[in-house]
Amino acid sequence: MASDEVILETIDLDKSFGAVHAVRTVSWKVYAGRVNALVGDNGAGKSTLIKLISGALQPNAGGFRVRGQETRIGGPAGAFGLGIAAVYQDLALVENRDVVMNMFLGSELTRGPGQIFLDHKGMLRQAHEVLDDIHARIPNVREMVRNLSGGQRQAVAVGRALIRGGEIIIMDEPTAALGVEQTQEVLQLIDTLRAQGKTIILISHNIQQVFEIADFISVMFHGELIGTRPRDEATEADVVAMIMGKRSP
Amino acid sequence: MLGRLTQGELAIKGRRREQLLFMMDNGIYVVTVLLFIVFVFLAPYFFTPRNLVNILISASLAGIVTAGYTVAILAGQIDTSTQGVLAVATVTTALLFEELGFSLPMTVIFALLAGIAAGLFNGLIVVNGKIVAFVATLATQGVMLAIALFLSGGQTITIAREGLQEAVFIRVFGIPSSVWIMFLCYIVGYVLLTQTKLGAHIYATGADYRASLLSGVPVDRVIRIALVISALTAALTAVLVTARAKQSAMFGLAIAGSVDFVTALTAVLLGGFSLFGGVGRIERNLVAVLFLTILGNGLQLMNVPTGIILIVRGFALVLAVILSVLRARMT
Repeated sequence: MASDEVILETIDLDKSFGAVHAVRTVSWKVYAGRVNALVGDNGAGKSTLIKLISGALQPNAGGFRVRGQETRIGGPAGAFGLGIAAVYQDLALVENRDVVMNMFLGSELTRGPGQIFLDHKGMLRQAHEVLDDIHARIPNVREMVRNLSGGQRQAVAVGRALIRGGEIIIMDEPTAALGVEQTQEVLQLIDTLRAQGKTIILISHNIQQVFEIADFISVMFHGELIGTRPRDEATEADVVAMIMGKRSP
Repeated sequence: MLGRLTQGELAIKGRRREQLLFMMDNGIYVVTVLLFIVFVFLAPYFFTPRNLVNILISASLAGIVTAGYTVAILAGQIDTSTQGVLAVATVTTALLFEELGFSLPMTVIFALLAGIAAGLFNGLIVVNGKIVAFVATLATQGVMLAIALFLSGGQTITIAREGLQEAVFIRVFGIPSSVWIMFLCYIVGYVLLTQTKLGAHIYATGADYRASLLSGVPVDRVIRIALVISALTAALTAVLVTARAKQSAMFGLAIAGSVDFVTALTAVLLGGFSLFGGVGRIERNLVAVLFLTILGNGLQLMNVPTGIILIVRGFALVLAVILSVLRARMT
């Protein structure tokens, strides 16, 4: 995998909250069209690093290189502009709205004078297209999100990321609350996204799952990036040791 | 918990719940028609053209307030300042038209501007002060009532000058303009809520503030606009109430208590809205307002004492609250 193209790179990224040094000069490479897993113990700094990349937090020092260009990520809108879309752990879906309105929430298609009217037909069509593309099993896109299963919800949240032009999709513990069947559904979803050339950043606690789906496995410990291994060259024992803070050669 | 149910089980559970919710939501149509039929047989003079127009007139005033109030509720904002806005706008109308000799259009414009100002004030306290609307608007209502009291010198301002009542209550096809204005408010409300981006944002903000914020919905602006719409319809009602009574109605209670916060709240809850925002359809509120008006009118015609009527209306609110809480538990 030596020829892998880097799509996003953090450069000496640093973030503290008061006395807590959450992210310590992290330089991380994210590979295009791959599933880039980020693992580490609770409090290792994964969530903070992800929030810096999705624009939800601003770093104290360091920067980003996206598609070879040095850049700032000014906020969530700035991240969208760069094709970076986060799917939050709680998915940020509105239970009492239907699938279509959730997928377009905050980026509704509009028409008419002053673009004040909703383009219901356009949204319906595009929602179907996007959900078909990721092979989501959602029989009725007018269904309220409150009636969807965990796997279906994940698909809606990912659909939203795609509608916003997400090329780099951050998934934060997507299977943490799911049963076996739905976990498989989400893993298939990730596989589908990769097959379509999307870049995935996957945060997970589940080492087995990471080995099942990821192409690269990066480990954080106490705010530092300990290392990145191509999945094929790593063993579960290595990765577990790294999570415990052991730097391998 | 959700994770343990299979897709099929979940679908069945969801379908049953949706069926029950559908009945709770649309029961108001059935109940209103039944009540109407009962009064046709039991209440003398109920089913006469004159009385039916009277019902529409009474409903129009409560209906207009409720239309705007609904928008605030949908955005998750319980606006309790309705009485205050009514008071400020009724005093403004009477003062400008009677004492300062403003023309009719200018009077109406300034009364509505007073409403918009009140709504902006509510928005300032709720959004910038980060205070729950229910509490914030209870406080701002006190300020508004005091302003109205100060402006009017504590006196009811009687309107002797001709032109206000006549103009505002022009009949079109035999039905007074206030009724047409009410229907217009609901049509505009329906289009706003179902067909516009702002409407989608109002629903989303009320249903889940945090998720909407994370999705890039301008939640604070949405809340401000919803509160302004609520105050604006209250001010519009105040103009009509003042014109109808030919005097300033200090506490907006001139029309037999039909235009007040409690009626609006009862109607909103009977209409299947959640007090917590984000759920409900505005057309059902129109029906709920008609239901409450028919209830009061029919009982009155049957010579039921006013005290009993108020008790019945009180129970209507209690029932509405129970329905709303049941609904909230199910969703």
